[in-house]
Amino acid sequence: MHIRIITRFIAILILFLGLSMAGPLLVSFLFKDRSIHALLFSLIITSLTGLIVLICTRNPESRQLNHRDGVAIVTLGWVMAGLFGTLPYLFSGTIPDFTNAYFESISGFTTTGASILTDIESLPEGILLWRSLTQWLGGMGIIVLSIAILPFLGIGGMQLYKAEVPSPVVDKLKPRISETAKTLWKVYFSITVVQVILLFTGGMPIFDAVCHAFCTMPTGGFSIKTMSISHYNSVYFDCVFIVFMLLAGINFSLHYKLIKGDLRIFGKDAECRVFLILVAVFVVLITVNIYGSIYNSIAQALRHAAFQVSSIITTTGFVSADYETWPALSQLILLICMFLGAMAGSTGGGMKTMRVMLLIRHGYQQVFKIIHPHAVTTLKLGGRPVPEEILSSIWGFFILYLGIFVAASLIMAALGLDLISSFASVAASMGNIGPGLGVVGPVKNYLGIPLLGKWVLILCMLLGRLEIYTVIALLAPAYWRK
Amino acid sequence: MKIIIIGAGEVGFHIAQRLSEESQDVVLIDRDPQQIKRVAENMDVHVFLGSGTSPRILKDAGINNADMLVAATDIDEINLIACLMAKTFNPYLLKVARVKNEEYLQEGELFGKDLLGIDHVINPQSEMVNAIQNIMEIPSASEVIDFVGGRVKLIGFSVTKDSPFVDRKLLSFNELKGQILVGAIVRGDQVLIPEGEDVILAGDLVYVVARNTELDKTLGFLDIRLETSGRVIIVGGGQTGAALAKRMDRAKISVKIIEKESDRCAGLSEMLQHVIVINGDGTDKGLLEEENVGDVDFLVAATGDEASNILMSLLAKGLGAKKTVTRVSKLSYIPLMSAIGIDTVVSPRLSAVRAILQHIRPGKIISVVPLKGEQAEAIEAEALETSDIVDMPLSKVKMPKGAIVGAIVRGDEIIIPRGDSVIRPKDHLIIFALQTVIPKLEKLLTVKLEYF
Repeated sequence: MHIRIITRFIAILILFLGLSMAGPLLVSFLFKDRSIHALLFSLIITSLTGLIVLICTRNPESRQLNHRDGVAIVTLGWVMAGLFGTLPYLFSGTIPDFTNAYFESISGFTTTGASILTDIESLPEGILLWRSLTQWLGGMGIIVLSIAILPFLGIGGMQLYKAEVPSPVVDKLKPRISETAKTLWKVYFSITVVQVILLFTGGMPIFDAVCHAFCTMPTGGFSIKTMSISHYNSVYFDCVFIVFMLLAGINFSLHYKLIKGDLRIFGKDAECRVFLILVAVFVVLITVNIYGSIYNSIAQALRHAAFQVSSIITTTGFVSADYETWPALSQLILLICMFLGAMAGSTGGGMKTMRVMLLIRHGYQQVFKIIHPHAVTTLKLGGRPVPEEILSSIWGFFILYLGIFVAASLIMAALGLDLISSFASVAASMGNIGPGLGVVGPVKNYLGIPLLGKWVLILCMLLGRLEIYTVIALLAPAYWRK
Repeated sequence: MKIIIIGAGEVGFHIAQRLSEESQDVVLIDRDPQQIKRVAENMDVHVFLGSGTSPRILKDAGINNADMLVAATDIDEINLIACLMAKTFNPYLLKVARVKNEEYLQEGELFGKDLLGIDHVINPQSEMVNAIQNIMEIPSASEVIDFVGGRVKLIGFSVTKDSPFVDRKLLSFNELKGQILVGAIVRGDQVLIPEGEDVILAGDLVYVVARNTELDKTLGFLDIRLETSGRVIIVGGGQTGAALAKRMDRAKISVKIIEKESDRCAGLSEMLQHVIVINGDGTDKGLLEEENVGDVDFLVAATGDEASNILMSLLAKGLGAKKTVTRVSKLSYIPLMSAIGIDTVVSPRLSAVRAILQHIRPGKIISVVPLKGEQAEAIEAEALETSDIVDMPLSKVKMPKGAIVGAIVRGDEIIIPRGDSVIRPKDHLIIFALQTVIPKLEKLLTVKLEYF
């Protein structure tokens, strides 16, 4: 392990983060709100810390990063980003308690969108923008952003990229990793801009439009309204959000290929097909389920079913209606969506459609082998064989995901949460969704969770965003053995 | 520049590594998942699993907008078909192919524009035989490299304790100014591009540039003998051994060639006029003694088995052979060789890597030779009118630190530069540079920033 280069890289990350506070500071200045000083101090402290550490770690021992360094940089980088992300909350006094501030900050960077705030509208604009910005930065990945900006990383960049990108297989779009990262960020940025324009032309104030777009593309789900998107109660906005949440849940390489002119790529890609079919089936089921019992018009039922399914399956977590009042079947479907998650290579969390697809096919393959004991079978995805290695890594992921889910739920229950809330709070945190069921339901928040519970959920959010292996590897004793 | 390389074997791997370190866009295609995985984990290149002759894979790899294709697999047929495929998809592509079958190489038309359209054919075998021959011409040098068609020679030699070079600052060699120039010093595993203040120590490997016409005189200064080798033993009558023996046969040098298989020996004796063909095992001490290995100037261990080659070189050295040349295939073995007392190593793969790299540099760079350990390079380049190095004394040129001009070739004239030498447009330059400054150097050599 190369401590110097790890520290150096994290310092660069912190420096970027500090500089990015200039945006909220500017907004705070324009709105003349009460967070100017808090943001200014945060900016100075964060950037200076980054800069000083950067200067102290000149001449690192090696310029090459290995797997271990990659794991440490990514995990610790995220932990540190979360730490410095609390400064604006603490200094402005909007969230005076450190645990709460760290919860909000990590929930932002991991694009979870779980909040401890009760009255969001009362926050100064600068802080609101910072909150949304953390999600936007975390969505495509702060590490991937640094790879895009710092061209010298080369092969080390690949280790970092693999450790941060939420996908079992890493798809390189360009021969060089920095180019790949740059391309992804360009796509991400462009789609965000389009969404801002669509929301703005539909009548949403520009500040609201930017904040919400910053939380849609990363499938984040922070809203600047306590009542989330239901605050606006507009069919047009709901439709825009549904479309962009689904886009955010689709693999960004496909967006790139679409922009490059392959118009039928969404249909051609096996994973994307399954993802969209799943969404459609769930929407129909919930619509039928809530039509009549909750909503009197089929259009209303369809609107809210589509919004809520898109929001939960892509792990965004925006709310258009209080789904806790919906029948059990609908709630259960949404809970399943929390586990399924979006496509691999998207900004969404959860298990990812690709993993679920491969697990089911692998299961069926075993059945097939019982019927034809001598059959030679190959598991394929989109016509290409899937290496055994990837399959076992997916099984490992599945077991760890379930194991951590069970363990964390037990802790939550021990802390006094009820059955549904224990399960839902952990599922919503690990899947990076945000709102769950029970005490953390769509119109409630995480403020009431006990202190220890909050830290458990913070860990769950990090595990979920970095796809378990990266974080677990750093915690494993074998990692630290020489 | 986007470069597609087919074959992730040793040759393809090394080329990909070099190019990706220089920030080129490299795409590598190989059929072996293990190789692909190794490459993906070790360097920043785009990898594709599949056959280099598959149209689908080539298209996926982006053959349509690539600038160059390097077909570097071990199999000639795959390399040739890959070039043919590539030509149909992208007629403007620059193609370099590694071909070793002599029969193909004789059919020049095969590679011409009408058929395969291969721009550069690389034959590692003959590159290596050239390298061996060069070393034989100056036996006490450990490496001799030709530039500008052999008119300028780059000679690498080890500095012994009693050499006139030892412990002297380069500045103090005033009498040699304009005749020879020290371009690089290899000390341990470090490569220095020297400045006037640097001192040469015993044990250094020093690279000097000299004119071919004055070779005798210059080498005299350096206390290096220049003589064509008297007696040579070649062990191994395979393609390399046979090709080498054939050339020496023509030059009427007294050569013995030792080959294990009797059938092959019969073929060799039919082919060769003066060479003595001996049937036997080159690792057999008795046989080597019988053939007076102690008196030979050169033993070339060129069998296909690198372990045997290493052993017989050591054996021959022990028995008194003046110099040995050992053929080693695995590139990772090369740095170990001097540690166990083997002085000169040749490798078909290293030769292939060198030859291919010469053709891949952008701009007006004509040839590139990696020096020991690949940390530094000797580059032959043409000075462009627009570049920042022309028409001013060398001492004023802003050369990057770690780069030095070793020779200027202007028409028939060869200038070993001094501080007041001036480069003119169209001059050919030989430049020594550390690998880290190569991008800067490339920029300097191509175009100057234009201020409007």
